Amino acid sequence: MNIQDFLAFDPEVNSDHDVPVDLRSLDFVSSYDSHLMCPICHCPLIQPARLQCDHVFCQKCLRSAITTFRSADSEEFPCPSCRTPTSQVSTNVPRLLINMCDEIQVRCPFLAEGCQEIVPRGHVQSHVDKYCGYRPMPCPDESCDKMTRKKDLQREERCMHSYYLCSRCEQDIMEQDYEEHDTELCPSLKTTCIDCGTTIPQRELKKHIETCVEVVSPCMASKYGCTAKIRRAEIAAHEQSCPLVSIGPYFESQNTRLNSLELTMRHLQQRNEIFEDGLSNIRSTLLESARTSEGHHGSGRAAADGERGGQNQVDDLDDSTNSSNVFSSNATTYLLSLHESLREEVSQMSHALTDLDARASMTIMNECLRIKEDMAHTNAAVNSVRMQVQWLMNPRLHNGARAGGMRTNASTAGTESPRSQLTSTSAPGPSQAAGPSLGPLRPRRPSDSGREGTKL
Amino acid sequence: MASSFASKRLSKELIKMQDHVPPGITIVKSDSLEEWQMDIKVLDENPLYKGHTYRLKFTFNNKYPIEPPEVQFIDIPTSSDTPRPIPMHPHIYSNGIICLDLLSTTGWSPVQTVESVCMSLQSMLTANTRDERPPGDSEFVAYNRRRIRDIPFVYEDDNV
Repeated sequence: MNIQDFLAFDPEVNSDHDVPVDLRSLDFVSSYDSHLMCPICHCPLIQPARLQCDHVFCQKCLRSAITTFRSADSEEFPCPSCRTPTSQVSTNVPRLLINMCDEIQVRCPFLAEGCQEIVPRGHVQSHVDKYCGYRPMPCPDESCDKMTRKKDLQREERCMHSYYLCSRCEQDIMEQDYEEHDTELCPSLKTTCIDCGTTIPQRELKKHIETCVEVVSPCMASKYGCTAKIRRAEIAAHEQSCPLVSIGPYFESQNTRLNSLELTMRHLQQRNEIFEDGLSNIRSTLLESARTSEGHHGSGRAAADGERGGQNQVDDLDDSTNSSNVFSSNATTYLLSLHESLREEVSQMSHALTDLDARASMTIMNECLRIKEDMAHTNAAVNSVRMQVQWLMNPRLHNGARAGGMRTNASTAGTESPRSQLTSTSAPGPSQAAGPSLGPLRPRRPSDSGREGTKL
Repeated sequence: MASSFASKRLSKELIKMQDHVPPGITIVKSDSLEEWQMDIKVLDENPLYKGHTYRLKFTFNNKYPIEPPEVQFIDIPTSSDTPRPIPMHPHIYSNGIICLDLLSTTGWSPVQTVESVCMSLQSMLTANTRDERPPGDSEFVAYNRRRIRDIPFVYEDDNV
């Protein structure tokens, strides 16, 4: 709103409170941040208003500042803090600021009447309006112009200001104070101190008991076990000789030490609990990871080992659950995992070994077969050579027997006869199969035999 | 009501300054809420003011802090235990009257405090290098019978 409107708008004028509390004259109990202070009245901001330059003041302070510093009805005035010309005032300030100012603790303004109440500043008005029993109220009797504290107002609403004459001290006492006077304050009220026997006015009894020399009081070291209860006059003498009094300071220091030790112990206990929690957390995560890796190993081996794996996997899972209960340290877990990986490697190695073994035996078998075949061929060749040798030998043997005359006969027409001899003499052996196949190659010269040998 | 506003504000300032005052500032007299006396010192090495202490008199009216207090230096002769001269400055007359726009009705701002005025005067002295009185000092001192607030100062010199 602009300045004219702001000056015309004054919420304090039409407040409906019976006794408007002057928030600036309150006794602030708690200390407050200096930023919450209006720079003009130096109180925590009351109904703050904000200028265009973001400086905040109490509305009331700002109003008096504007009326003083605005030059003759102009639309602008300088901000008291930074002198920025300002034409707009916003009563819309952050709720946070208002709350922070309202929660500052203050004393009830009727402290002088006896109210000891400490309330947040935001509640002080309602405290005064509704709850404060010490607020002075006009006397219900209209002819009486005195004030009565709210709590002293009688139900029947009559004036409590008429004077009574105290029968004992002959003083005029107002009715509202009479009860207190009658039981306590009247100087004529006497009482006897039970210890010293002197008679004193009632209202001084409390003070007297504190100083009475006859009052029996316990020794200073009673809390350390001294049972002596002596008159005050003699207690000083006792306390000088009482061993417990002299040891008292030592007890005191021991007590404070014990207290501080207990405190540290409690701290340490708490820390210990925290550490134990952390440790068990770590352990459980370790177990978790160990279990998953175990399961992984088991299934991996199961795939590799084929049908045996099914059994293995079950065993492994059992193992891991059993052993997981035994795991108690990182080292065991580490060793186990090492062991697992080694086992994996060994199984791989054995696979490779079997592979290699199979391959080697295959090659050996192949070689053997070929060698056997070769040997069969050689055998056959040796046999045919033997047959040829035999065949060649036969005519020589005949020739030896007939003395050479038959040699031409054998070379021209002997193609049939030697064969029939051959079949008759060397019936067993493979030459029987080779014999006929060699037939078309005849007649053969002696040089042929060598060629046949190389061919085999 | 208005006078209690001034006294409340002043008692709050006093409580704050009893708790902590800036260096070089001392409260000498603050028992009434109408007149305070403060001692100020210039803390740096300015040879014009080094080693001296000056006494300031604040007079508040019941419109404080909306209206400025009257502030002037007062002279305590060298023969006393606590000699307090009037500092040499082109804006300070030899009777202690200070020509400073901050202290005029137009230059004043209600956010100023006794503390901030003292600090402004400290810095005004610190910044000065001229060992002289304002022009027309002797006539002004001889003939001025007006109250400080009624003197028509002209704030033309921004250099010092």
